Amino acid sequence: MTEPMINPVNRPGDKNLGKLFNGGKVMKRREWRGFKDTMYDFFRWLKIWGILINVSMGKGFVKALFRYRWLANYLAVPHMIDKNTLGQRGETLRITRTAIDFVVKEMAQIVKDNNRADIRCGNDKKLSNRSVLCDENGMTAFMMGFPTLNSAQREVVTLFSANLINQNCATHYIDVAQQYGIPGDVCPMPETELGISIEDDFAVFGKCAVQINTTCDGSMMGNGLIAKRLEREYHIPTFQLAAPIRFKNDDVQAYAAEDIKKAIAFVEEHTGAKWDWDYYFECAKRVNITTRNRWEWLDVNSTDYPQFVGSVFCLYNDTNYMGNCGKSAVFPTIDAKIMQLVKKGLENKTMLGQQYRHRCLVWGVQSHYLFDLLYWMINCWGVVPLSDMLSMVIDREIAEVDTPENREQAYYDMAYLTENMIMRNHTHGGYEALLDEMWKYCEMLGADMIMLWEHIACKALTGMHGIFEEQARERGIHLVWVQHDLCDPRIANRQSIRDQFNLYMRTVMREEPLDPSLEVIDDNNMW
Amino acid sequence: MKALLIILLVIVILFVLLFTIYMFNLDMKFMTYVVAPILEKHYDKIDRNQYL
Repeated sequence: MTEPMINPVNRPGDKNLGKLFNGGKVMKRREWRGFKDTMYDFFRWLKIWGILINVSMGKGFVKALFRYRWLANYLAVPHMIDKNTLGQRGETLRITRTAIDFVVKEMAQIVKDNNRADIRCGNDKKLSNRSVLCDENGMTAFMMGFPTLNSAQREVVTLFSANLINQNCATHYIDVAQQYGIPGDVCPMPETELGISIEDDFAVFGKCAVQINTTCDGSMMGNGLIAKRLEREYHIPTFQLAAPIRFKNDDVQAYAAEDIKKAIAFVEEHTGAKWDWDYYFECAKRVNITTRNRWEWLDVNSTDYPQFVGSVFCLYNDTNYMGNCGKSAVFPTIDAKIMQLVKKGLENKTMLGQQYRHRCLVWGVQSHYLFDLLYWMINCWGVVPLSDMLSMVIDREIAEVDTPENREQAYYDMAYLTENMIMRNHTHGGYEALLDEMWKYCEMLGADMIMLWEHIACKALTGMHGIFEEQARERGIHLVWVQHDLCDPRIANRQSIRDQFNLYMRTVMREEPLDPSLEVIDDNNMW
Repeated sequence: MKALLIILLVIVILFVLLFTIYMFNLDMKFMTYVVAPILEKHYDKIDRNQYL
């Protein structure tokens, strides 16, 4: 962008958002957004408490709360939403809240089912017997033909979503894993999962489990040991679904489809359920709706007036593709609501902040404990995060009509979904997937800046640091490296991450912050 | 009429109360400074069957 775009609308409410932070564990008070938007947010807040109270009334909740350390993180769900709506007004606020409130509702259901089925808490054997434990880092595509089964994502609620709520939720389990000799320089995500398993802090239920080698070797290391406990102590048989690493090559696709067939056969054998093609194609239709909508939102984001952006855009896509994979009939209606708001925002030329200075593509795996950084970039520096790597996930539609040919194609489609799981489809598959596609999206979205999350323990991007910089220079694109450690804020804390961005904006771009109160925030002690 | 007024009054009081909790972030302050420390102490006391 050469000239900044100034928002002609006077945005009501708080202007200096940094004053909401005072070094405590939560914000001093909630943001005043003007009467209309504050009232909207207030009633949404009530709705969230309604969801949380509903979970607490579920079978096994009290026992679970006094048994599982990770469950206490969910006390701060409203705080997580506050972080992810900071500075938002009008359609932007409504889009974000519609998406994140639904994500919370989905997570709440998973927590409720977890507590209910867990042998230590609700001990609902019926639910447990129709549950298949699904790996956190995998698409649940192989479950798209089982309408009666529960794709139980116990790792998602134990770690992934908990870390979005509480930055310190993983540290206890990382320490447990390291006490048992796991090195400190592996990805903290699988290390935390392993720590939870070592401490026996996962809910225990399910007829069988399917683990997936996505995203990385750290995940494979953790999965082996988690499977050992599942199988030997709890007698839950575990299948290893191994998606090919060079998944862009044609010669691996037959193998990948065959592996999906074996996973389905494994689930059938252990649960007694039968694959239902009608249900599969119903789900496939919904996956395609998701894909079409997401591409339409990205089209809007490539205009001068992006609407659905930031961490909630990513989180919504994660939930819709990975956890849901077409199985929920409710998602298309939420998609439709969001689409309506996006179109209205585009029509009204709604801006997300007071000024746009740069259009930015966010690349690399994002930090969970500072997931809300993308909204901070808008509020503090006028940098609009048009999309992120994890949201650029599925780029073609899958077969959705039930024919004999499509039944065979379906295995390839499920393999395609699995191979393109959100955290791996650009970090695996060679430099074309990581580097070339980044430039393709950069051009498509009209970005003049790239923010590259560099996950210290992952090292996936580190090897190509120089190539990224060389190619950015050739193209005249500003490239900002921001280092983080995914789930462990002790390695790179929130302000040290923001400082890297601040430093680039001040020294390279020679710019001043739009909201100076946000440049340094005392939030390192926060949830 | 009187019943209606009472209902209206209850709604207004409830709204003021809830809005105060919302605006001053009292829900999160209560969870953070009262509930969470109790739970954390409790979690530290539980015997865990740790092994690799």
